[in-house]
Amino acid sequence: MESRPPRRREEEATIRLAAVPESVSAFESFADGLAFLSPRERARLKLAGDEILDNIIRHSSPLERRRIAVRAARRGGRPHLLFFFRSSPGTAFADFAQGFPGSAPLFDPARRRWRGMGLLMCRNLSQALSVRHGSMMDRIILAFIGED
Amino acid sequence: MTQLEISVHTEHHRLVLDVIGPINSYTFTDFQEKIYKAIAQSDTAVVMEHVTALSSAGIGVLMTAIEDAEASGHGFAIVNPSEIARLAMESTGFGDRFPIVQSLKQI
Repeated sequence: MESRPPRRREEEATIRLAAVPESVSAFESFADGLAFLSPRERARLKLAGDEILDNIIRHSSPLERRRIAVRAARRGGRPHLLFFFRSSPGTAFADFAQGFPGSAPLFDPARRRWRGMGLLMCRNLSQALSVRHGSMMDRIILAFIGED
Repeated sequence: MTQLEISVHTEHHRLVLDVIGPINSYTFTDFQEKIYKAIAQSDTAVVMEHVTALSSAGIGVLMTAIEDAEASGHGFAIVNPSEIARLAMESTGFGDRFPIVQSLKQI
């Protein structure tokens, strides 16, 4: 059996966040500090991650265990961003998941702004995006183009 | 930077909004309020050189601002956006809709 080389720990970082709005700022600081990514890689990861995290907080809360683990890593030369959480039964997570890869933007007159662009942006910022709803854990995984 | 700072001043009969910090789903309301108010009054320029994040909520406000400016007959420009702000606009797939200039002198 072929053994894999050990993963370089310096090219991986994890943060655990509460499912509250203030966590968006904490995630942005986390993304800004990812030294193993180039500035443009960090920018893509930060923009897409903001959208995913906001959607999890809005559509999947209350989360069981109330925590969202977010991991950034370079794997196979490509930056990845992984979200691990456990949505409560009966939340809107399933609907949220079905919204991938993104619905058409529309103008919301009540809020006086265009909406529905977050997932579209994620699709365009990433190379691949997958959502897995599991019995033990929900996962959202984004892979980005690598620039190194 | 976790707070959004917006200062407004007048320059050559135009309202100029200097935006510093992240425009995300939890900070965009102040941005929305100030930009819509400015466009209703006069030509408006938004300096985005020091924007550290631009979420879909902020993009949605910018798109509405463009339409409001067209409807009111006022000029609107986005000045020298940061790399991440520019990337966010491009990621919508219709980046050419955003009226970007490199400096206020170009307006």
